[in-house]
Amino acid sequence: MRRRDEVLVGTTIIASLAAIIFGALYLSKASLWTSTEIRVARFRTTGGLGVGAPVNLRGVRVGRVNVIRLGEQNLVEVDLQINQDAVASGILPERPGVIAASASLFGEWEARLIDLDLPPDDANVLADLSLVIESSDDGAWPGATLPDIGELTAQASRIAGNITDISDRVTTVLDDEAVGELQQSISDFANTVQNINALAEQQRDVFGTVSQNVERTSDLLADAAMRLQLTLARVDSATSEGELSTIMANTATISTDAAAMLGDLGSIVGVVRANEATIGRLFAGADTVLAKLETGRGTAGLLLSDSALYQEATLAITELRSLIADIQANPRKYFKFSVF
Amino acid sequence: MFDVLRSMRDMDVWVPRTVVQMRRLGVQSVPIALFIATFTGIVLALLSSYSFSGAVPLYFVGTLIGKTIMMELAPVLTGLALAGRIGANIAAELGTMRVTEQVDALETLAFNPLSFLVVPRVLAATVMVPLVVALAMAVGVTSGWITAISLLDLTTPEFLKGLRLFYEFKDIWFGLVKSASFGLGIAAIGSFKGLRTGGGAEGVGRATTEAVVISASMILVLDAFWAVILL
Repeated sequence: MRRRDEVLVGTTIIASLAAIIFGALYLSKASLWTSTEIRVARFRTTGGLGVGAPVNLRGVRVGRVNVIRLGEQNLVEVDLQINQDAVASGILPERPGVIAASASLFGEWEARLIDLDLPPDDANVLADLSLVIESSDDGAWPGATLPDIGELTAQASRIAGNITDISDRVTTVLDDEAVGELQQSISDFANTVQNINALAEQQRDVFGTVSQNVERTSDLLADAAMRLQLTLARVDSATSEGELSTIMANTATISTDAAAMLGDLGSIVGVVRANEATIGRLFAGADTVLAKLETGRGTAGLLLSDSALYQEATLAITELRSLIADIQANPRKYFKFSVF
Repeated sequence: MFDVLRSMRDMDVWVPRTVVQMRRLGVQSVPIALFIATFTGIVLALLSSYSFSGAVPLYFVGTLIGKTIMMELAPVLTGLALAGRIGANIAAELGTMRVTEQVDALETLAFNPLSFLVVPRVLAATVMVPLVVALAMAVGVTSGWITAISLLDLTTPEFLKGLRLFYEFKDIWFGLVKSASFGLGIAAIGSFKGLRTGGGAEGVGRATTEAVVISASMILVLDAFWAVILL
């Protein structure tokens, strides 16, 4: 009897302990046969992250949160129990970081491993990560916390409230009178559309003619374009035979000569400007002489205006020439030289 | 209680009798504990699915079953059941021995009645009640799981997801610590009431009733106490 009692009691104890141990291990998702490594992560705050929370990499569980404790510099240290398989396989990021975030709407939290080379596009997260990186130099993984679902819900609630306000205001603006006016506007717009349709029907022939003209114009433009193309082809050929180069060279030479001429002309103009006063006086004197000539004053004027004087002068010149010729012929007749 | 602690020095007296009491108080209580746990799991699954129809996902049935059975229902319901079974058993047995002067005979034979009668029962109840409760936890969760996949639109992965969702190891040891205190209290109260019995058969009946009522009340008080202390 006593032996039977011992067997029964022993069996019950073993069964109970087995139920406790197996149940605890199974429910905590822990395994006695999976080796793990501890990695320390630091957070400014861990939010709702708790011991036993899963550690996920790209959505796949690779470990669990082992310990959460307060650390130095107002940071929180979290020991992450990472499966040895994940560490050995090299799937962890080169520069890992940890994001603590809600896993569902019902308060579950998880630690997500991220690559710091591909950080999330969130200013608060980046600020938290930078703070931890600056504060830690012992290789601890920097961590950041996403807003709690409660905060997001509160934000969504505020947005919903704002939308309600806008809806109320729209409702206030769109009273019965406004709706009637809007309906009238729509009706008017419909009438306008009908009128436009009628006008379009009327203008259909005109549009046809215009279209034909446009088509013809288009043909002409095409013809002109063809001719222009031929001209350009000729220009191209001329260019290719060197004629255009020769013309351009000649033109350059002419331009050089013209520039030289303009330079000379400029010099002349400069001389003229320098002697402007003299020339002015010369012209003034010429004007005076010409005026006297025209009025028959002075010797030249008298010669020009009095024919008798001209004839006498001519006669005198003739006689003077005769005299000179006589002198040349008979100098001793007129000149007498003696030394002593 | 101090007399009981002093009596534990007589190990040659109480150790051999403890195994017997463990069978009587523990092993023989397993069927009633599992029966209660089975139907608790079934009802809990149905009630939670009824409550969760709407916004809350149905896999929270697993969460509710796991949390409530491990932390509250298995320890308390099993404790109440064992208060009736064990408490009444101990009080009636020791009360009868008292009114029939068997306890006096032990004292006459130089046996310490506490070492001979009380210590084995208290130790056996303290050790075996948590183990029985552990089995009740396992069976209660299992019956809830079977109910969920059989009668509810829930799959095994969903149930396990909910079961694991907010699980902490504290859920288990919290219930076991409570259960140990329940076993200790039930055995101590039953022994106390039994050894203090007087007035013949009527006194035995009264002592038994008082032991059960006080044990049940004590379980509820300890339940609240541990909730305040450990949660």
